[in-house]
Amino acid sequence: MATVQKDVVSFQHVSKVFNGETIALSDFNLSIDEGEFLSFLGPSGCGKSTALRLVAGLGNATQGTVKVFNEPPKQIVQNTNDIAFVFQDANLLPWRTVLDNVLLPLELRGGNKKEQKKEAIRVLEMVGLKEHVKAYPRQLSGGMKMRVSIARALAAKPKMLLMDEPFGALDEITRQTLQLELLDIWKKEDMTILFVTHNVFEAVFLSTRIAVMSARPGRLSSTIDVELPFPRQLSIRTNQKFTDYVDVASDSLENSSEQRELV
Amino acid sequence: MSMPSVEVVKNHEHIKKTEEKKQNSFFAKFKQIYLGPIIAFVVFIAIWQAVPLLLGLKHYILPKPTDVVSAAIEDWHLLWPAVQITVVESVVGFLVSAVVGILVSILLATSKILERSIYPYAIILQTIPVVAVAPIVVIWFGAGYNSIVVISFLIGFFPVISNTLMGLNSVDKNMDELFTLYNASKWQRMWKLRLPAALPYMMAGLKISCTLSIVGAIVGEYIAGIGGGKGGLGYSITVAAIQVKTSYLFACGIAAAILGIGFYLLVSLFANLMLRSWHESAMKVDK
Repeated sequence: MATVQKDVVSFQHVSKVFNGETIALSDFNLSIDEGEFLSFLGPSGCGKSTALRLVAGLGNATQGTVKVFNEPPKQIVQNTNDIAFVFQDANLLPWRTVLDNVLLPLELRGGNKKEQKKEAIRVLEMVGLKEHVKAYPRQLSGGMKMRVSIARALAAKPKMLLMDEPFGALDEITRQTLQLELLDIWKKEDMTILFVTHNVFEAVFLSTRIAVMSARPGRLSSTIDVELPFPRQLSIRTNQKFTDYVDVASDSLENSSEQRELV
Repeated sequence: MSMPSVEVVKNHEHIKKTEEKKQNSFFAKFKQIYLGPIIAFVVFIAIWQAVPLLLGLKHYILPKPTDVVSAAIEDWHLLWPAVQITVVESVVGFLVSAVVGILVSILLATSKILERSIYPYAIILQTIPVVAVAPIVVIWFGAGYNSIVVISFLIGFFPVISNTLMGLNSVDKNMDELFTLYNASKWQRMWKLRLPAALPYMMAGLKISCTLSIVGAIVGEYIAGIGGGKGGLGYSITVAAIQVKTSYLFACGIAAAILGIGFYLLVSLFANLMLRSWHESAMKVDK
């Protein structure tokens, strides 16, 4: 096949306008390669969540095209389980136990129950919650809920994980643990991850590439390749190279907001 | 993964502690929660007993508690069958309104067009005082049992349908999107998302409906009579009122109240069992 493309996601001149007046995204262009860990970094209102939702087929672009695996996102969502979405709050069903929450995507797909359970246990093991399969979400801490949410996303064996500020509501210590675990999972499961955050440190620590966005209207202001080696440890944060990247990303953020004020 | 296990240990300790506390503080809790209401009840009965005596009121104007009790014992052979009949009528009326109410709600919720075209009429129907249409029911279903159940159903039906529909339509947006992302079918969405999410609303509707169904049964008996069979509480009340058996009237009223409370507690228990594992309304609050 000559047309094999490595782009798993491409935005081409994408605009998104809500209610005919709020411009969330304007002329947004970006290609994302297979296996990347790409963070959308920007202030609130820069359309980073909107971009992520377009990839998941939750909503349509007002102008331009979004393609995922060279197809319209809605089609991918309808026909495959290649995309999984992790919401900002864990978004667990309160009437289901941890195990049943993780089983949900598998149940909706149908198939062998025993296999499904095996798979659910596997991903729960991966996020360290094997002992809590019978607990209900209300019995879990915020960090544990987020782990269940990640396990649920992994259960359907997606090729791409979309995460919308997943660690935004967690305390710093839990957040660090989960960041490390997420990097582990990313390596193990061989996925592409698109990650929305407004935290510069988080973006630099996790990503292979950062898409810095500016607000009103939401635009891509620059992309930064983060060439720090993997596996990354927490100690990397005091590394000169790490702080350099943080500086670059922060500058880029500031520039984009200054531009906004000049307009 | 040390963090979660630490939390679990904490939880266990917490449970243990509260259990110990429960046993130790049983009497303190009794004093705190039940003593007040019991004293209030005794004082109320004492005043009630004293007032007719002091004012010299006749027993057919305001019977004393002792009159009411002796009337209940004396006419127990009338009161007890009447209670049983009313229980059957209201339970049947309640069950029919619960089943029909939930089914109709699901049907309406599956189609926006259907809901939009029918729901306004459901609201209008709800505002019609059932007492006003009860005679029509009697013409259609004949005097006695059938009409009474239908009237009880009509009164109990709307709280179920309006609550259940509200619940089915109040699904969290993110959860709904989750189901979209996994390409869930309409019925998967209904069974696995909308119905469970609506359960707390549904239970609230059933709680309202169960007490209303007793009102419906008694009102039904006023209007539909006994139709050849034995009469329920409503019928007993009409007869006692004509005969000015005021003490017995009080006994009937109290019996109806106990019936209502009992039925309500039963349905609440059922609701708690259904929601126990996850919903806040059914969880014990421990501090």
